Amino acid sequence: MNSDFHYYATYCAAVLAGYSHQDSLVISAADVFTDSCSRTLLSKLKAPQSAATTQLKLELMDAHTDTSGLQDITRIWSSFHFLPYDLSAEPPQRTSKRYKAKYRLICQPNGKLLKQTVKLAKGKSLEAAGIAMHVLADTWAHRHFAGTPSLVINNPYNEFVELIPEGNGFSERMLTFRHSPSAPDDLERGIYTCSLYSNSEKSIMNLGHGRAGHLPDYCFIRYQYLPAWGNYKEYVKDNPSDYRYAFAQMIYAMKYLRGVHTDFELKKYDWKAVAGIEKDLHDILEKQQLDASDDWRALGERLSGKTIKPFDMEAVQQEYLSAEADKKDNTFLGSFILAALAQKSMVTNQIFASGNKLAGRSIEYVRRGIRLARTIKEGKK
Amino acid sequence: MSYFQRIKSLLTGILFLLVALFLYLVPKEGYSIVTGILSISMLVYGFRLLWFYLTMSRHMVGGKSCLYQAIIVIDVALFTSTIAFMNSVIVVFYLTAAYAFTGLIDILRAVEAKKIGAPNWKWKFVYGITKIILTALLVIFGLFHGKIEYLVYGYCLNLSIAAVSKIIQAFRRTSIVYIQ
Repeated sequence: MNSDFHYYATYCAAVLAGYSHQDSLVISAADVFTDSCSRTLLSKLKAPQSAATTQLKLELMDAHTDTSGLQDITRIWSSFHFLPYDLSAEPPQRTSKRYKAKYRLICQPNGKLLKQTVKLAKGKSLEAAGIAMHVLADTWAHRHFAGTPSLVINNPYNEFVELIPEGNGFSERMLTFRHSPSAPDDLERGIYTCSLYSNSEKSIMNLGHGRAGHLPDYCFIRYQYLPAWGNYKEYVKDNPSDYRYAFAQMIYAMKYLRGVHTDFELKKYDWKAVAGIEKDLHDILEKQQLDASDDWRALGERLSGKTIKPFDMEAVQQEYLSAEADKKDNTFLGSFILAALAQKSMVTNQIFASGNKLAGRSIEYVRRGIRLARTIKEGKK
Repeated sequence: MSYFQRIKSLLTGILFLLVALFLYLVPKEGYSIVTGILSISMLVYGFRLLWFYLTMSRHMVGGKSCLYQAIIVIDVALFTSTIAFMNSVIVVFYLTAAYAFTGLIDILRAVEAKKIGAPNWKWKFVYGITKIILTALLVIFGLFHGKIEYLVYGYCLNLSIAAVSKIIQAFRRTSIVYIQ
């Protein structure tokens, strides 16, 4: 998903869930910041680098693909962008243990880990809610891909067919992929940029949905393809429908976080809240465009009656830098870091507990707290 | 390119230079040893591919290509090992032809890179063409003078070019497309 959904759509969902304008802005800021909180940024701010929620292109370029390097990559991408659906999933055929470990990291919506993610944010900061919403939304957009480098899981067969609505049905068009760092995706001609083919299982080119380009990130597109792990079964990815579900589930989840619902159940969506804006939602999700920010912003401003300012990354950094050492945890970035560490450690340890070593293991921040972790690192205890 | 890949590229470049120097100093025995090393390294690579197919890629859509690659590499490795101690002319011709073939592969990859808009296609194309032209010139020159040493020296030259290219690659800035 792109920043249009992670920021403006999350704001709309937060307002519909009953949050105030200010609280909705914080939640959507934390959601969109999940795609920017890299080690490079954290090191610049002298913040804990283990709280990184993403990796920049340059970081990925220099990432080591030895065991610990791969675990680091997997921890970040599985915890925040490709939440595994079923950590004990069995592939349809008999496979090696190594294959199974990767297969079990495939992302899908409504997995057990999603429930744990949302529950982890309950009673915590608004930033924690924002991170949970990012993870939730991405389970819909990034389904069928895994947050670990893997040729055999993430390298779909290269024939993608776009399904274009026409009358009561759909017309079909073959999509073309290219590898051009500077050229934007050409929606008119169906030409998209994707990462290069690499026959190395551990190449970062085979991380997440890189080989399918930005197709999972556009709300309007529907396409048919063969996932690498799918045993030649054709899958249809209906993004407008998936994004609609993501939106309705976010409202339901945020109502739970606000205490409207006593429990968060999987496969539950707040269609009632969506009913009032169904036409707007349909128009935004079906419109062919690279960036839907303007449309989402207009909808958000209509819902709250307030002006939505774009996310100000510079202000967030300044707030953190200018805060005194013991007050840093109270800033936006401080709260975000605590929530990110909790989420990352929860997912990493769940993967580890399932017998899967791909993400390594982590200190349990939820139980022991970040301060204790700092003390242990400094050798005081 | 990661640090590890850069170090690998640098070490390969240095190894190529050493092999070229060795061949230049002992042209008569050198090529048999080089053929042996080539054969063993291809065999190891082929078996690694086969293992990857059996444990991983046989479950992947289009994964059979790994099996075909493994079979071809192992086949070529075995063929290479059989000619290591044959007539020196055949061995040197074989090594030269193998080198020219890598030039052809470079051109094909450059064409593919151009098709998908990758910026480094020109470098690959020029490199591939240079390899083929140099090889062809050396074969013609060697046959004309009837001296096998010319072919060996030519092979040394080609290896040195490959070595320099690997070393340059290790220090070049690269750009990648990664989709977040």
